[in-house]
Amino acid sequence: MSYGMEIFDSSGVKTFSTTDSTWTTLGVYTSNADTSTNHTGVPTMPTRIVTRTMVDQISGDDESYVHTYSLSGSTLSTVAPHATKTVKTIFTVFGK
Amino acid sequence: MAYGLLITNDDGDVLIDSDFPHYHFLGKYTHSSVTQVPDLLGGGDASVTDGGNSPNENKGMENMPDKGEIYVYSVAVNGANPPICFIKPTSVGTSAPYAGIVLTKQTGTTWEIRVFQSKVTSDSPVLYCFAPLSQISNSTSSTYGLKTLNSSGTTTFDSRFKPLRAVGGGTITSPGLAHVGSTGSGWVASLNVNASPEAVSVTGVTPSDIIYYCPSLAHACQQYTHEESESGTYDWESYSWARSDLWWCFYRSCFRIGDYYGTSSNFQANYGVYARGHFYQHEGDSTSVFTGLILGALTGGAYFAILLAAVVATGAFTSANVAGGNYLPYENSYRNTSGNAFIISKASFYD
Repeated sequence: MSYGMEIFDSSGVKTFSTTDSTWTTLGVYTSNADTSTNHTGVPTMPTRIVTRTMVDQISGDDESYVHTYSLSGSTLSTVAPHATKTVKTIFTVFGK
Repeated sequence: MAYGLLITNDDGDVLIDSDFPHYHFLGKYTHSSVTQVPDLLGGGDASVTDGGNSPNENKGMENMPDKGEIYVYSVAVNGANPPICFIKPTSVGTSAPYAGIVLTKQTGTTWEIRVFQSKVTSDSPVLYCFAPLSQISNSTSSTYGLKTLNSSGTTTFDSRFKPLRAVGGGTITSPGLAHVGSTGSGWVASLNVNASPEAVSVTGVTPSDIIYYCPSLAHACQQYTHEESESGTYDWESYSWARSDLWWCFYRSCFRIGDYYGTSSNFQANYGVYARGHFYQHEGDSTSVFTGLILGALTGGAYFAILLAAVVATGAFTSANVAGGNYLPYENSYRNTSGNAFIISKASFYD
């Protein structure tokens, strides 16, 4: 590494470096089953990704729609695609 | 930011911002148990030995594709936010199984994580889990490293606890239907996964070192039905018979490191058979022409409600809807295939 920063532990093992493309957690938001929700106050960063997790859902013999979403500015808009068959979804917004 | 620490790289990416919590290494986890969804299999036979060519073949799960298996993990992390669990797959390459997290469920201070793998293997996937520092109870005597706090005095980054280091990521789309083409012929169903995987390129990481975070969102359900009937006279007696069958598979999306060359590889999405079933009705009559076909009973009603309720009571494939005969979530379609975000890291960072 010719520039940047590296962090080592007491054994000399590198634990973090500016060459790592890490993701910072900007927020965790929950949209309840069958409900469309706008989450506001989402911090901004140059690049963001949103991961979705179905919670408490084994996806058995129901339809298990997961919320769709759009992220613009500080608002995460989540939409339940089905009025009665959309599961509770946790959104984790990462930024870098 | 008026105060604190902000580190960016020459691409403008934020690497550390003391205002925000970072995920840190919680630990490696091996499964506590393995399970499979039991087959939903049953049928009714009534006087089927009557004359004619009443068919008796394939009343079980013959020619149905093998199911994958489900690994159950218990991850202790005290807090409302679920852990981020990366999968270290059992192998990589074009023959490797696909694997994905299909359940994230909180019970007290523990999260139950279930990983579905598309085929049975002697080895099992290992989870590398991460959580915000506020949800990690680990301690260390080390005084080396870098630690940041936000304006409330809460630690947001601490290099002593191995912060999450991502080396790649993006979004991937799962295929639509899991099986393309004919779904069967006669009394033989053909519902194996034959869709081509969707792929996203990953570079700069040794494939066998890759761990990935990509919860399974997509699923598909496909079925094959067949029915026949016949009536006539045999050995001076009238006969009639009718048989109707329904085979189905429920697929969950899962992922693998597929093709690779050196440190270039493909992160692939496809399906595995999560659950499967076969129901039939076979009836005969020797005194009059039997005219009632029964496929409608199989597909539309509660004909097998009692049988299904007994199978479902095992707890692996649960839904109250089954008691009403609606044991298929939907027919020959798929859900949630687009926009599945994933993150790539290295196992060697944390081994």
